[in-house]
Amino acid sequence: MGEKIFFTIHIALLCILLYICLMNSDFVNNWASQVKKGTLSFIVLNILRKKEVYGYELIEEIKKFTAIEIAEGTLYPLMNRLKKENLVASKWVEQETGIPRKYYSLTKKGVSTLAEMQAYWTNLEKVIYKLQK
Amino acid sequence: MKDVPFRELSARKIYTDYMNRVKQATAVLATDDQLDLLMEFNSHIYEAMQQKPVEAGEADALVTVLEKLGNPEQVLKPLVAERKLKEATRTFNPKHVYQALLLNLKNGIIYGVFGILYLLLACFSLLIITKIIAPSKTGLFYRNDQFDSFGFIADTSGTQEILGYWFIPVVAITVVTLYLLITFLFRTTNRR
Repeated sequence: MGEKIFFTIHIALLCILLYICLMNSDFVNNWASQVKKGTLSFIVLNILRKKEVYGYELIEEIKKFTAIEIAEGTLYPLMNRLKKENLVASKWVEQETGIPRKYYSLTKKGVSTLAEMQAYWTNLEKVIYKLQK
Repeated sequence: MKDVPFRELSARKIYTDYMNRVKQATAVLATDDQLDLLMEFNSHIYEAMQQKPVEAGEADALVTVLEKLGNPEQVLKPLVAERKLKEATRTFNPKHVYQALLLNLKNGIIYGVFGILYLLLACFSLLIITKIIAPSKTGLFYRNDQFDSFGFIADTSGTQEILGYWFIPVVAITVVTLYLLITFLFRTTNRR
């Protein structure tokens, strides 16, 4: 009898522990997804700072520099928003294959906005570093 | 627009089906905007396929590319809503304004407020029809040389309608002016 009770308590404790772990990983996943969403435009603008890139190339660059797995199609609404805000410009460039590429580049406003974002990011980094000490 | 070439028939069919879904999802936009998005997706598919190893089956490779690109109806929804909004406020075309409002209603309370403003304006323009159906009960009414009411009233006793059929152009001009004003405000809000 005593053994049975002990066994039940043991299982219950394991379940609670598993639940806490799952909740915790859920929380971290949600947080990570929010960070990704919030920083994607910053990442895109940073890539465009170096060179003009076309849509698919931009996705490849994001993958190359970050571990961010994005639904590739969602990049286009983001580029549309950045264009609407006049942070990026785009132009179609004909290719020998007959299938043109749409190249994106930073506008003047994009350059100054990126500088502001960079300053904010650096400051945030410092704050977090201080807090972790 | 040049289609992405495929050797396998099944791959060509998958590609055509997907592009038709993109066409459908963007059908509400102006031809230029629609073509721009189609070309963007076409270019993405082409470039992604170039990165796939030759030995991989075309159809399998294409399915992977399209899965990563996402469901066009879902992916394009915010993009179409934004572009439609731009188109609507640029052209002042009521049909486009209506479609843009409908697409953006979920994107914030401000679109709901504009929706109500346009609805009120539509109700106001109905006065032109009531003036034709019930001319004696619709108009600008004065009582004892003082303003009493404007619009449709059931009991006209003791009042005098002073505009007559001039009421119709007055309402029409007011509706057009208010429409332009609201749409101008809508445009300004959207630019922020």
